[in-house]
Amino acid sequence: MRPSRPSRRCHGAVAAVLAGAMVVLTACGGSGGGSATDAATAHGPIKIWYSNNEQEIAWGKQVVDAWNTAHPTEQVTAEQIPTGKSSEDVIGAAITAGTEPCLIYNTSPAAVPGFQKQGGLIDLSSFADGTSYIETRTGDLAKQYASTDGHYYQMPWKSNPVMIFYNKDVLAKAGVDPANPPLATYEEFQATAKKIVDSGAAQYAIYPAPSSEFYQSWFDFYPLFAAATGGKQLVADGKSQFNTPEGLAVADFWKQIYAQKLAGNETYTGDSFADGKAAMAIVGPWAISVYKDKVNWGVAPVPTADGMTADQIHTFSDAKNVGMYASCTNQGTAWDFLKFSTSQEQDGQLLTLTGQMPLRTDLPTTYADYFAANPDYKLFADQAARTVEVPNTANSVEIWQTFRDAWTSAVIFGKSDAQQAMTDAATKIDQLASQS
Amino acid sequence: MTAPRTQEGLGSEQDADRPVPVVVAAVGQGQRWRRFLVMGALFTGAVVFLFPFYYMVVASLQLSPNLSLGGAFPRPGNLSLDNYIQINASLNLWQSLLNSGIFTGGVLLGTVVFGVLGGYALAMLHFRGRGVLFSAMLLVLVVPFQLSMIPLYVLIARDYGLGDTYLGMILPFAINSTAVFIFRQYFLQLPSELFDAARIDGAGELRTLWSIALPLVRPAMLTAVLLTFIGPWNEFLWPFLITKQQAKQPLAVSLANYISTVQASTANPYGSILAGAVVLAVPAVGLFLLFQRHFVSTDLGSGVKG
Amino acid sequence: MTTSATRSPVPRDHPAAPAAGGAGGGRHRTPLTTRLFGRQPIGMLLATPYAVFIAVIFAYPIGFAVYMSFTDYYFTAPGVTVPHPFVGFDNYKTVLTDPAVLASFGHVGIFLILNVPLTVALSLGLAVALNRAIHFRTFFRAAYYVPYVTASVAVVAVWLVLFKSDGLVNQVLGPLAPDPSWLVNSVWAMPMIALFVTWKQLGFFILLYLAALQNVPKELYESASVDGAGAWRSFRSVTVPGVRQATALVLLLAIVTGANLFTEPYLLTGGGGPDGASTTPVLLMYQQGIQQGKPSTASAIGVVLVILVLIVALVNRRLTERSER
Repeated sequence: MRPSRPSRRCHGAVAAVLAGAMVVLTACGGSGGGSATDAATAHGPIKIWYSNNEQEIAWGKQVVDAWNTAHPTEQVTAEQIPTGKSSEDVIGAAITAGTEPCLIYNTSPAAVPGFQKQGGLIDLSSFADGTSYIETRTGDLAKQYASTDGHYYQMPWKSNPVMIFYNKDVLAKAGVDPANPPLATYEEFQATAKKIVDSGAAQYAIYPAPSSEFYQSWFDFYPLFAAATGGKQLVADGKSQFNTPEGLAVADFWKQIYAQKLAGNETYTGDSFADGKAAMAIVGPWAISVYKDKVNWGVAPVPTADGMTADQIHTFSDAKNVGMYASCTNQGTAWDFLKFSTSQEQDGQLLTLTGQMPLRTDLPTTYADYFAANPDYKLFADQAARTVEVPNTANSVEIWQTFRDAWTSAVIFGKSDAQQAMTDAATKIDQLASQS
Repeated sequence: MTAPRTQEGLGSEQDADRPVPVVVAAVGQGQRWRRFLVMGALFTGAVVFLFPFYYMVVASLQLSPNLSLGGAFPRPGNLSLDNYIQINASLNLWQSLLNSGIFTGGVLLGTVVFGVLGGYALAMLHFRGRGVLFSAMLLVLVVPFQLSMIPLYVLIARDYGLGDTYLGMILPFAINSTAVFIFRQYFLQLPSELFDAARIDGAGELRTLWSIALPLVRPAMLTAVLLTFIGPWNEFLWPFLITKQQAKQPLAVSLANYISTVQASTANPYGSILAGAVVLAVPAVGLFLLFQRHFVSTDLGSGVKG
Repeated sequence: MTTSATRSPVPRDHPAAPAAGGAGGGRHRTPLTTRLFGRQPIGMLLATPYAVFIAVIFAYPIGFAVYMSFTDYYFTAPGVTVPHPFVGFDNYKTVLTDPAVLASFGHVGIFLILNVPLTVALSLGLAVALNRAIHFRTFFRAAYYVPYVTASVAVVAVWLVLFKSDGLVNQVLGPLAPDPSWLVNSVWAMPMIALFVTWKQLGFFILLYLAALQNVPKELYESASVDGAGAWRSFRSVTVPGVRQATALVLLLAIVTGANLFTEPYLLTGGGGPDGASTTPVLLMYQQGIQQGKPSTASAIGVVLVILVLIVALVNRRLTERSER
């Protein structure tokens, strides 16, 4: 068969390759991070990420150019990351690998507790003027963004107060007054919705996404809950707050909408409001740039059980904030740039270029000229003073996923009793929120 | 003298010298009828299979979305290449295609070179650790990516420092284990007489590999190339994680980014998404069409006769 | 070739194969090198790149995942040290008593029962049909291959449109359409995913079978027809055994793909489907490990999944390779 004496060459070759492999493997052992003690005051080049939304890119480019011109030794390099389902996953993975940039202008408040637990965020209150700057700029709302230890691990940046958009043409076709549609109370809203669908003017009255991702409840349940309770969060001090008559009333409201087929329970590819499938949408001002040419739209606050005046209604903020991340070596520059990009002038640019509301006190007076020129946005600016954020608590994502699972089962698909589902969810969420 | 096959199930040792019975002529009619049936079934199947893809192409060519039954048969007035032009304007299409090509090419190279060697060794050679390696290969096939995703990212981005590089993209996919499996199966299936003959003639293992095994591996190579191609070509999650610079991102990632922002800027976002998908699919289909001609019987028996 | 070499085919796995015309008597002590490295140590050299690849790319992540499943672990930034207490089998207990996790394994079971037999039967049948020299062969082959080649993300969008409550399929079916439409129907959601994946993957398996069919020697078919076998008989006796290796591979890959299902439930049914009717273990791993920052329980799910799949694969291998040699 085969000569029983293998060639000597093979031995040598095999041994060499194996040895080489071993050397490579040991040399590539993991190296830990460096020290960060002097980083807080260091100045130098930094890197930032912002979202790839067209308008935000425009804003991002001009703010980076403005800074770079004035600070030649502290250049800022910017990259885009996509918004969407995976951006938090990307940031989390980057934190673990130490490859994240200094600042990310796309940090979701719901992800902050997780990033903080990872040790990925830098305490902004550790800067001398950290807390004061944040609280001066954002006012009372800032407290919602503080972590459980009272420090700020994120800079509140911009919000998109969620309101009800309606399609004036569709409403008119259905026989509803497009200038002042009756949408203030639950009953009125349901009646209007039914009228629209029965008339055939649109297939659905409203069409929030019915899928099970953890964040979808922010656009059906949470805005109405905020309004109904005058500004309560889902969880506070480690206890759930939604298993109450107000919370159940919101659940019943939506349950009836789905049961009467006034909202769709299948995922829609595309934007149902822009395509004319749905007469209304529950979304924030970023959508104006999408809708302006396609739909003749009007806006109203979210409904409450018995109706409230607009200046009393709260809603969900849908905020995106800025975080400073642990791998940053030139934190001095990062903090200066952060203040620069949230200055009154740059906030104004943000408003002009994207139509989203900077998280700044008293928007209507600060930017009176802008709102005079764009009255469409004034309603949002007023609403922006009364927004509710997702609670900054441990296991934030899991809490929302638990809630969403209960919601889809009981409310969207009507498979279980709403009260029971809420109670079960509240029990589980209490347990999750109380873990440190 | 002809050598009987070593196949299971038909131990016929008769050689082909027996006279062919005259019953062949009578079978003709039944064959034609059966052939129509087969063709009909194939055609129906092909239509069903292709229909979503056809729908995709049609929708991508539409100016305004028409999602009803009539949309499947578009009006000429509604057809345009706008969606494709739109994509080309928003992404750097050629750069993305190039990145996809480099990524996929690197994976193909690693798989074809090292995978063949590995498959051959696993099939034909006895060495210490063969069983372990085979089990490791099976394990790699079985383990889902999500299980190893974060540690793998840490390994490649932090420990090896390969973030935002082509090598970092290629590395987790460099040798496709399915292809190794295929090569191994293929070599196992080759008639042992070929190798026995070589050994009797005194050839060493390397010589056998080079002169006998490699020339014969073409069908398996084609299969492996076609199958290995799809993975990196359509892969989204890994390149998305490992690259942040747009200049390095392959087409699948650029398209996904585009999808997430396309709502605001186009008249028919649905059509644009599908246009992107068609662009992504065309090279793969083209490659397949080019190579599938080679899937013909090579009639291995001729290598052993005489 | 001598007759002695051909009458008893040399089994490849048999270490002490009798040599034809061999080097006389070899009953002396096997040399040290053979005992240490096997009979053909050149194999180690050839296999080394692949072995190194596996060790470097997969050994660490998989080992790390197993380690995580036994501790209370979460990912931290570099330089941040937190205790990772060893918790024994706690994570496994949590996972195996979680009804959501058990349900997801059940869904995968449904998927496999539907998908695997259909895949094997269809792909073999189609491969045989496409192997003949028929008209439009190229067109047909391309038609069956195209779904495999298209990115899931895009083709899912088309299916969503086709199977909506007012989509094409329901328009054609009329009153026969199920009431909560296909993808939001908790009974139909998983079968729809099974159908989608079968449709999408078929091209891959047809390709495998096409390649395997090239190696079934024509003489066998000729002998069979000479012996009077009809098409079906010849399929059963020549084709099916002839592609046995490929069938083993197809079964293995179909099972592995089904067990690791993630993209389709994620995209087609929006993260878990109506009332969680189409969750899969890997989807839960993604939610828990990556979104919720609990990689320890996610790894526990993963390890359980891998073990189950390995068991099934082993059974599969025993069944298909038992009758050989």
